[in-house]
Amino acid sequence: MTVRNNSSQTILWIDLSLRKTRLETLPSDWTGKYLGCRGVTARLLFDEVPAGTDPLGPDNVLFFGTGPLDGLPVGMGRISIACKSPRGTVAEGSSGGFFGPELRRAGVDYVAIRGQAEKPVYLYIQDGKVEIRDARHLWGLMTDEVDAALRRELVDPDTQFRYIGPAAENLVHASPIFGNLNASGGRAGCGQVMGSKRLKAIAVRGTSGIRVADYDGFVQAYKVLRQRLDLATSRDMWTPVWSTYGAPVLARLFPDLGNLMTRNAQEMSWDYDKAMRISSEPYLDRYVTKAKACWCCPWPACQKLHRIESGRYAGFKGGNYWAAQPVVFGSLIDNDDLELLLVLSGLCNRHGLDVFHVGYTLAWAMECFENGLLTTADTDGLELRFGCPDKDGLIDLVGKIARREGFGNLLALGCAEASKIVGQGSERFCLTVKGQELEGIPQRNLYMVALGIAVSEVGPDHTRWYPPYPCNPSLISKEELADLGVDLDLRLAFQGRNPEQKGRLLRWFTISRAVVESMPSCVFLVRDTLGLDMRPWWNLFNAATGIGLEYEAFITAGERLMNLDRAFNIREGYRRADDRPPTRMATEDVPGFGYPRLAPEIFEPMLDEYYEANGWSVTTSIPTAGKLQALGLDDVIGQFSALGIEVEA
Amino acid sequence: MKNLELRYVAHVTALSGCLVESHQTRASSIRDLVKELDGRYRGFQELFVNPETGSLNLNAMIYYSAPNEVPITVVDLDQPIVDGGTLTFW
Repeated sequence: MTVRNNSSQTILWIDLSLRKTRLETLPSDWTGKYLGCRGVTARLLFDEVPAGTDPLGPDNVLFFGTGPLDGLPVGMGRISIACKSPRGTVAEGSSGGFFGPELRRAGVDYVAIRGQAEKPVYLYIQDGKVEIRDARHLWGLMTDEVDAALRRELVDPDTQFRYIGPAAENLVHASPIFGNLNASGGRAGCGQVMGSKRLKAIAVRGTSGIRVADYDGFVQAYKVLRQRLDLATSRDMWTPVWSTYGAPVLARLFPDLGNLMTRNAQEMSWDYDKAMRISSEPYLDRYVTKAKACWCCPWPACQKLHRIESGRYAGFKGGNYWAAQPVVFGSLIDNDDLELLLVLSGLCNRHGLDVFHVGYTLAWAMECFENGLLTTADTDGLELRFGCPDKDGLIDLVGKIARREGFGNLLALGCAEASKIVGQGSERFCLTVKGQELEGIPQRNLYMVALGIAVSEVGPDHTRWYPPYPCNPSLISKEELADLGVDLDLRLAFQGRNPEQKGRLLRWFTISRAVVESMPSCVFLVRDTLGLDMRPWWNLFNAATGIGLEYEAFITAGERLMNLDRAFNIREGYRRADDRPPTRMATEDVPGFGYPRLAPEIFEPMLDEYYEANGWSVTTSIPTAGKLQALGLDDVIGQFSALGIEVEA
Repeated sequence: MKNLELRYVAHVTALSGCLVESHQTRASSIRDLVKELDGRYRGFQELFVNPETGSLNLNAMIYYSAPNEVPITVVDLDQPIVDGGTLTFW
């Protein structure tokens, strides 16, 4: 058996137009400069997709990235999926499962796909060899159908897949890429880009082993990580909840705090009885058939498979009831029917739709309908009201969005584009940033979240800074923090509605999470002190790769990645004015709680602090020359200069 | 006597056997209430109180709200409780 090390990384280039492929080794210093996974795909995206590239044309490049820790117990099977979003921003998302480890075992760390196939194709990668195969028989299949069809075709049960559903084939807004039936990644439109290339799926099988450079050091470091994560020893209030019942309990914890976006965030609370009906407890009691964690994850409750046994949806199977679904198909549309919620969410997965796109766009349409901006003449006869009186109509509508039929064709554009067409002030109901729909975490009660959502280069994406709180201040002293290079007052940072420190806190969170996702590992496992004290991650990385990276250089790799993402967007014309919360959050107080709107006097100083802390221009948000030089990104300055983009010293 | 609404979330329901209940008590603080609930749900105190420091366990959380007030995250277990209050244990 071939055994791979982790210090150098390979990339498989595929041109679907020319039907040519080549396997290369990345420059040897990239593992130190960019670590891997998200760090490397950020570098590749900046280099390979120039400003002005048509996102749905042949020159956009779709990257799949693993990293030095993928295939080891720490990697959790994470991959980075990246390309230029159809909205023009960076599109990058992380996804779990088993595809990443299998790709590494096949001798490939990154796949870069450019061009457009003449007819639908899929890729079959086996131990470093790749075939571009006919996929006309797979085109149009739902995600569960293509999964089953490929398993029948390729026989080997250990083959892993990534695929798109009909929504991405039809270039529906925000469509992600799926795998392991219900795991999705790249909600910023990576699936759309894959669809534009007529690439239905990637299948991968590998037989190599993966060897760590320092076995004893790795085991020792891994024990420290597990101590921070295990139920008996973790010092994090979320560990018992997340590792046993999973995230949907937020439906019960959020309403009383004014944190649950209800009826398109017109309200931030919800009837407690309704919240109880869609929380984790009834879900586990009645529907869960199996826990199904990602590669080597210690938290089996994160992913689950479920089945509805009886009633109008009897026999409906699905998976992955996370924190998002109780919001987007629960409180946001005022639905407390858990079975309807599971069906809507499951249909999104099958069609290959993004649940946030569909949930927020439905909620927008409901508010438009209730305000007379849309009527049954627009909605194909559907009474599109909060509370979901026409359940069958809603279920049909999900399929129509994926197929771009009738009223579904409007919603397929996403909330921001649809509101431009409907006009009449409907933009006020649209909860998007940079054209992408929000997620489930509130903003007017958690200022760092508001800032994080507004500045994110990919559009709203909680994984950029998750979890949104520092560890318990009693676990780490000011002196220890200073030694770790973290200049924060944790007491202030903990105060959700105090704007002080939020810019600096967010900067640290985005850098440290970028590091975690570049190893890669999973940001949902950033618990206990693991979000502030990065030494356990650093020890694992060095033990796995043997490259002896200094701690400061390890952290700087995360900052380099952040600056590359920002530079990509700057090159496309994004500036400070684009880093804004949705209009509703900026202009409406939270009813019933007294939480004020994110008015400029609250929001702008946080934004200033964030840019200053990053070494970016406070006026434009463009990284300064000094910062780019310090990060070794002189080439970015050169590109800005060639494009006439002014860079401050 | 005080009337309280007690809410149990996720793994805590394995002890309580219910998601929510009304509870009458003479307890004056959250610490007293947790001790009282330990008599009913064996292991409850161990789940929430660190035996060495007497403070709230770092891997547990309690929300408390007085009537018509937004809940607070409990830092001090000696926090007084009033009639009509709601507590969420997780």
